[in-house]
Amino acid sequence: MTPEVHALAGPYALDAVDDNERQVFEEHLKGCEDCSNEVRGLRDAAAELSNLSAVAPPPQLRADVLATIARVRPLPPVVDNVVALHRARFSRSVWQVMAAACAIIAIAVGAWGVQQHRDATRQVSAQASAVDQLLSSADAGAISGPVGSNGQATLVYSKSQGKLILVAHNLPKLASNKTYQLWMLSGDSTATSAGLFAADANGNAEVSASGDLSGVSRMGISIEPAGGSKTPTPGQIQATMAI
Amino acid sequence: MRLVKPSLGAAPDEPDTDPLGQLLAAAARGDERAFAELYDQTSARVYGLVLRVVRDAAQSAEVTQDVFLDVWRQSARFDRSRSAVMPWLLMIAHRRAVDRVRSAQSSLVRDDRYAELNVERPYDSVSEQVEISIEGQRVRKVLHDLTEAQREAVSLAYFGGYTHSEVAELLHIPLGTVKTRIRDGLIRLRDALGVVTS
Repeated sequence: MTPEVHALAGPYALDAVDDNERQVFEEHLKGCEDCSNEVRGLRDAAAELSNLSAVAPPPQLRADVLATIARVRPLPPVVDNVVALHRARFSRSVWQVMAAACAIIAIAVGAWGVQQHRDATRQVSAQASAVDQLLSSADAGAISGPVGSNGQATLVYSKSQGKLILVAHNLPKLASNKTYQLWMLSGDSTATSAGLFAADANGNAEVSASGDLSGVSRMGISIEPAGGSKTPTPGQIQATMAI
Repeated sequence: MRLVKPSLGAAPDEPDTDPLGQLLAAAARGDERAFAELYDQTSARVYGLVLRVVRDAAQSAEVTQDVFLDVWRQSARFDRSRSAVMPWLLMIAHRRAVDRVRSAQSSLVRDDRYAELNVERPYDSVSEQVEISIEGQRVRKVLHDLTEAQREAVSLAYFGGYTHSEVAELLHIPLGTVKTRIRDGLIRLRDALGVVTS
């Protein structure tokens, strides 16, 4: 990757990055073993700094902590993809998900561009470089979240480029008269359709879109009647992700 | 978003050689005594770091309590192929301490970013209650091997809780320079301390 991204290893290991930078760098880490190893070593070094500031906590804190945990059950181990507190946790990288996404349909609605690719192989490499290109943009962001009960989606986007790529897997199978619809949600809760998409037999989907993302604060995914809807059907929203 | 890497360190089936890892694994099975032991071994470093970032003792105690509750809840999800226990725990503590400072700041000085960044925060003042352990003395010695510029950037980020962009603004230096200073400083620290990444 670019030296700029690599240089973020230090600030990331020190937890001196903002949320957006953290997401972008973690996305980069998935594909960069050098950075992963470096981050681990630097984080160990950073942890040593806490020896300089060690202070015994108030004695009462111990009792408070132990009383609190006694009432809370630890979360079960992660067996596969389990959603963490706010953002999803992935055991597969975007790249692998993309490789698995064989049949992709992205039909644009409104001002959004159509990108439909029938050649799966060419499409995967094209999308990998498209994601790479998006991530190299200064304001690039990446966010992951659950879709429905088992589905997972990762959204890579750049507001300055007005582009986004959505990669999803394990999406619930839909009846033939239903479709997935991607929405742009603005601060005042106005929903604008960003296109319809379908998942393949394995629940994989990928959508590329370009358009004006300024003013968009969240992206949403809903299940709609075939042909799509003007506004998301209440109760059918499967996921929203802040961008 | 959390990152889950395919294991690059310890194999999951091998016994954990990290004593804290063993305590955490026992805690994951609901062993409260093991967790109490983990607390005893780590709480001074956790609380001290939180206190350094947050400043206020009462708030720091609250944050520390949240940190340990989080550690208890996440104990079964700790991935030792990615990190040793202590760095993981301190990362949670640092994140929460910074969150606390930022939410307090956003309600107090949200309209004056300049004032927020220029408010006097003596990041390197050592509180008199600080317990200088043998490890602490060692780290302090090694810290002197860093250049003044590296030490300043690392301290502002870690103990001041500033992002590297804020550090750049505070020191009036380019962002790229801050990234480099932080990375080079940590590399020097790592090499001098002989941090073993298992």
